[in-house]
Amino acid sequence: MAETSIEAVKLVKQFGPLTAVKGVSFKVKKGELYALLGPNGAGKTTTVKMLTTLLKPTSGEAYIEGYSVLRDTIKVRRIIGLIPQDLTADDEMSGWENVLIQAKLYGYKGREAEERARRSLEIVDLWGAARRKVSTYSGGMRRRLEIAMSLVHDPQVLFLDEPTLGLDVQGRRAIWDLVREFKKNGITIMLTTHYMEEAEALSDRVAIIDMGEIKAEGTPEDLKSKLGGDKVYIEALTPEEAAEAFSELGQRGFNVKLENSTVIVKVSNAATSLPEIARVLSERRVKAVNIVRPNLEEVFLELTGRRLREEAFDSFRFRVLSHKIR
Amino acid sequence: MLSETYVLFMRETKRWVGRKPVLIVSLITPLFWVLLFGKSFNITNMINVGDLALPQEYYAIALKIVEAIRFRVFEIFGSQDYFTYMASGMIVVMTLFQGTFSGVSTVFDKRLGYMSRLMVSPIRRESIYLAKVAASVFRALVLSLTLLMVAYIAGFKFKEGFTVIDLAAAIVVVTLTSLTFTSIFMLVGFLTDSHEVIFSTANLVNLPLMFTSSALFPISQMPEWLRVIAGVNPLTYASDLVRYFLIGKSMSDPWLVFAALAAASLVTLVVCMKLSVRALDK
Ligand SMILES: Nc1ncnc2c1ncn2[C@@H]1O[C@H](COP(=O)(O)OP(=O)(O)OP(=O)(O)O)[C@@H](O)[C@H]1O
Ligand SMILES: [Mg+2]
Repeated sequence: MAETSIEAVKLVKQFGPLTAVKGVSFKVKKGELYALLGPNGAGKTTTVKMLTTLLKPTSGEAYIEGYSVLRDTIKVRRIIGLIPQDLTADDEMSGWENVLIQAKLYGYKGREAEERARRSLEIVDLWGAARRKVSTYSGGMRRRLEIAMSLVHDPQVLFLDEPTLGLDVQGRRAIWDLVREFKKNGITIMLTTHYMEEAEALSDRVAIIDMGEIKAEGTPEDLKSKLGGDKVYIEALTPEEAAEAFSELGQRGFNVKLENSTVIVKVSNAATSLPEIARVLSERRVKAVNIVRPNLEEVFLELTGRRLREEAFDSFRFRVLSHKIR
Repeated sequence: MLSETYVLFMRETKRWVGRKPVLIVSLITPLFWVLLFGKSFNITNMINVGDLALPQEYYAIALKIVEAIRFRVFEIFGSQDYFTYMASGMIVVMTLFQGTFSGVSTVFDKRLGYMSRLMVSPIRRESIYLAKVAASVFRALVLSLTLLMVAYIAGFKFKEGFTVIDLAAAIVVVTLTSLTFTSIFMLVGFLTDSHEVIFSTANLVNLPLMFTSSALFPISQMPEWLRVIAGVNPLTYASDLVRYFLIGKSMSDPWLVFAALAAASLVTLVVCMKLSVRALDK
């Protein structure tokens, strides 16, 4: 057991007629960063809620550090931290008050509670704004406050449900840096996201989840190599010239495809194959050459036939807005 | 569990104190009732001989009759002025009003996600419920005492020989009453996710409960059918007890009623707490 930190065994969650999670199983090793990547409604939040004792699974089991989320709920809650998709801070109070209450709820008293609250706020760089009411915070600050609230008890396992949803590039970078820092400190992290860059940038392993099922699992490299390397798109001036390039490249043993005036060359590594391709092209008129490295977006497209972010409704922005309107 | 409850109780109370306008508004309505209605409905002054042109010998008899009526009024109301009667009832009605709306904070905590933050914390679910009930009872108590203070300034008459012990007993009665109502209506807040449900339950319950009790009018003057309803209304017993301690209106077996109120409030608290915790875990 010592090696495994999070284990899900055939988790199922039914909401009336809808099966939101259809028998999800996986293991996350200690200190590993595991990402659940999937579109809206895939069942990410539902899975996280079951793992964090907020929802009872319809069937199946899950263990955190060996403790059952069904039977050892209090023990599980002591060692996990959850940064939920929806904001939870009390916006009529200051950041400091929110975090301090959190420390006290975990049983810390007096000086120690204050010390822990201060440290958590410093980690997320909110100490300067700690005395301000949460209702005056920006979206990024609110997210970081949520993280601070989840850190007071030094969790061994951290769940982040769409931690960067609705943030700008800067806000996202700040969260990424934090997550990397946690990982360095040996915390096991499970992160859900529908940004494939995020999954690629942060995670050791990724599970692609769609319609309540895990479609594929592995390191980002594994998943991408299943797609078969890089693609070089060569756009010729005319279809005839494209056809010539196509046949010549084919003779040289390249894996090629022709689409109108574009030749697509599949290679294992674009950087090493490009000189030879360039030699073939040197006598021809070429409009553009593009190299596409495979990314999880394409893996997802290949697995589900849909794009990841088609109809991403920005529910986080929406919430922040409605908070402010209220 | 106690320290968790205390932490959450302090959060609720801080929020309440932080919202001065809400605080003032929740005081204004009952104050208006008591000051405007209670003061203008002055029964004792309604009955007087006035400047009736009576022959001298009848005048003395008229005064005797007025005195007899006033004594009857005192018997019925336990006080010479309606203001004192009503104010002592409103102290209890206040706990009802405060109690029926107590679930609102729970619904808001659920909607704004705070509840799920509490649910992943390693605390007993019971302490969430207890803290909310305690905070609401505390609010009711502060409001009731403020009302009593204002009433006193406006001429509220305590019974003869009124002591601190009487006051303490009245406060305990108000607390137990508040505990009963709050326990019940807090459960509604744990069961529903919509504040409309809270508001409609409160509106449905508040006025009927108030008018079918001895809070505003004495039971002895009610028609038989209404008296039966008032006889099972906890507000009746609570107002009677408060009057017994504050203005000395007599009642039968006050200490028995007191014990029954204490027992009822504790049972209600425990039962509603269990149901609320179950509602949280669904
Ligand atoms: N309490 C609930 N009652 C009924 N259906 C629910 C409930 N919670 C979630 N669902 C449904 O379960 C499915 C999965 O929802 P979930 O929130 O887990 O998706 P998600 O992957 O987190 O999506 P998003 O990216 O939008 O957060 C959705 O179809 C959703 O409508
Ligand atoms: Mg989600």
